[in-house]
Amino acid sequence: MNGLHGIVFCYEKRNNLRELGEVRSAASIPFGGRYRAIDFALSNLVNAGAKDVGVVLHGRYQSLLDHLGTGKNWDLSRRRGGLKILPPFAYTREGGEMAFRGKMEALSNVRSYLSEIRQDYVVLLEGDLVVNLPLADILEEHIRSGADITAVCGNDSFYVENGTYFQLDRDGRISDVLYHLNTPRGNRSLEVYLLSRELLLSLVDECASHDLYSWRRDVMQAKLNTLKIRGYVWGGFAAQIRSVQEYYDRSMQLLEPEIRAELFCPQRPIFAKSADRSSAYLGPEGRCVNSLVADGCCIEGSVEDSILFPGVVVEKGASVRGCVLFKDTAVRRGAALAHVIADKRVEVQPGQTLIGQATYPVVVSKGSRV
Amino acid sequence: MKKECIAMLLAGGQGSRLYVLTGDMAKPAVPFGGKYRIIDFPLSNCANSGIDTVGVLTQYRPLELNSYIGSGQPWDLDVSTGGVHILPPYMGSSGGTWYKGTANAIYQNIGFVDLYDPEYVVILSGDHIYKMDYSKMVARHRDAGAACTISVMEVPWSDAPRFGIMNVDGEDNVTEFQEKPKEPRSNLASMGIYVFSWPVLRRYLTEDEQDAASENDFGKNIIPKMLAAGEKLAAYRFEGYWKDVGTLESLWDANMDMLSPESGLDLMDESWPIFARSVSMPTAFLGRNARVTHSAFNRGSDIEGTVENSVLSQGVNVAEGACVSYSVLLPGVQVEAGACVRYAIVGEGCRIGRNCRVGAAPEDTPPEQWGLTVLAPGCRLAEERIVSPGVMLDRNGEEAAR
Repeated sequence: MNGLHGIVFCYEKRNNLRELGEVRSAASIPFGGRYRAIDFALSNLVNAGAKDVGVVLHGRYQSLLDHLGTGKNWDLSRRRGGLKILPPFAYTREGGEMAFRGKMEALSNVRSYLSEIRQDYVVLLEGDLVVNLPLADILEEHIRSGADITAVCGNDSFYVENGTYFQLDRDGRISDVLYHLNTPRGNRSLEVYLLSRELLLSLVDECASHDLYSWRRDVMQAKLNTLKIRGYVWGGFAAQIRSVQEYYDRSMQLLEPEIRAELFCPQRPIFAKSADRSSAYLGPEGRCVNSLVADGCCIEGSVEDSILFPGVVVEKGASVRGCVLFKDTAVRRGAALAHVIADKRVEVQPGQTLIGQATYPVVVSKGSRV
Repeated sequence: MKKECIAMLLAGGQGSRLYVLTGDMAKPAVPFGGKYRIIDFPLSNCANSGIDTVGVLTQYRPLELNSYIGSGQPWDLDVSTGGVHILPPYMGSSGGTWYKGTANAIYQNIGFVDLYDPEYVVILSGDHIYKMDYSKMVARHRDAGAACTISVMEVPWSDAPRFGIMNVDGEDNVTEFQEKPKEPRSNLASMGIYVFSWPVLRRYLTEDEQDAASENDFGKNIIPKMLAAGEKLAAYRFEGYWKDVGTLESLWDANMDMLSPESGLDLMDESWPIFARSVSMPTAFLGRNARVTHSAFNRGSDIEGTVENSVLSQGVNVAEGACVSYSVLLPGVQVEAGACVRYAIVGEGCRIGRNCRVGAAPEDTPPEQWGLTVLAPGCRLAEERIVSPGVMLDRNGEEAAR
């Protein structure tokens, strides 16, 4: 059976998500008012016709499991195939308590799953990637170019935590793979890789037998000259949620209409778990400008340049500016918030003030009372 | 599969008093409150009341309704031992007919009800906005040992002549039923929600079917016959918000009520959630010059203009310089720059071109000329078009009679 098979990596990696990472892995971080980061990877796959997707987990995945459910929201709840959750059930290294050292180790841990893949091609993606890629086109390009591996990269050298960067030659082949750079250069890897099932299986076996675990070192760097590894340059919005600052900056970019038009293009909709909330409501004295407001919010105060998730309450006389407020956060009368990221069910008491900076947003942990 | 209680939802009505809004769909499929359809209310009430088997009787233009209900998953009614079932009229070996009346619709589906062999059947209609725990009504029915229990609510005496009025004794048992009485003796109005003991109803339905003079209607035939025969009919008093949204005015009123929880219709109250099929659209965006007050809005919307006292469904765009007030905009409506919409119900997917004027406020209009302005789904107005208050347009933008 032809087509794409998706594998999404959601195990914990080194990141700088501070309080936001206390209760969840990056893949289940809320984004854009009603999504979780992993909605993008899953929707990208489904929109390219993928019917089978494996999600590789390790560490703090309760919130992710809760979000994924049976995969119904992405039409991945299937009699055959569909969404398969791959927890580290057979993982033995150091008692199984440590996260995987790299993708190849994670893949070899699910080796039996890989051998059951029905499709000819596999896409590897990361759960923390927020993007709307035309994966069907990328697969076509991959087949046409005769590449062994196609690696999707941005057309920027944006700094991301633990990022990988490619040097591309004139005809699109990757000539070097770099990481741990002080000053990033080349094209930022989006960590989206496309290859045939056969090649993937042989690489996994080869690495396992040599106790090699790193995709970028033991495959991308080591095979640069023996495999044809091409870059696919994506010029659009692509966020990798690996630090609070990145999270904040990328969230604020959603307030630009062009970015939203591209990330949420109707041809490739982003599917998400739906919250059973009523319509959002703006009261007689409420004011809300340049903001994204999810269902079930109730705004009686003032909101500007912010992103509000479902059920956020902003009471009379309260002001919210440059903030990202997760589900069911309440800002009580007269409170003032600027440049704050408040996790779920935070309550800011009447008259309190919390001021961060755009370059250093204040993060409030889930369920806190301020 | 034996069930104690199942529900039968009458959803076949044309909804002719909603005119162009029900041109292509049955009344229960009409959008309400920004993110719901009318049928979400009885279906969610069933789910919240613990009723997991619901027959939905459809007849008029059922396509929209059928696809909306689907497997019943949004209401948790996709269960293998019951769930939601669409029941259209069907042919048998000796022919078949359309549903002739509300009672006939149930009569034709006696076979369906018998599959579950229930003690009680709850009869619901698909044109009411309310939150109600049917299990309390069933408990009242059981405790009273009644053959039928009718939910009633007190209405202002001046409104009583518009309703079916129940006169009750000291134990709230029904002694008399008056359909739209000129001189009501009680102000307890029937809400059109019944609980029957199934063996009793089954018998009355079968008898009523033999009566050639009968209109096969619950209110007109079955209830009077049961009263006349001395069956015990109990009244169940409902307190809370309830509205029949069978007319354009009442549909508009109920939408406005939703904006003010003081009306009794609090959709933000999560203790009794109303579920709806969800659409995949991004979070709503309010632009730099947006001025939105006392209004509801939904995902997929982009609001750059002024919105007051209005209910906006999913995917509604209001461009900069446009204004919308005291209006209900159904999914996907586009209001272009400079256009003004006042006191209107705008159907799904309508486009209102630049600088159009749709409807007007009552204070700006002679009273005899004022009325709600209504646009049929899919209607597209070219630039500068003026649509007077009280006018209704069909999908081609031509005036339709009310």
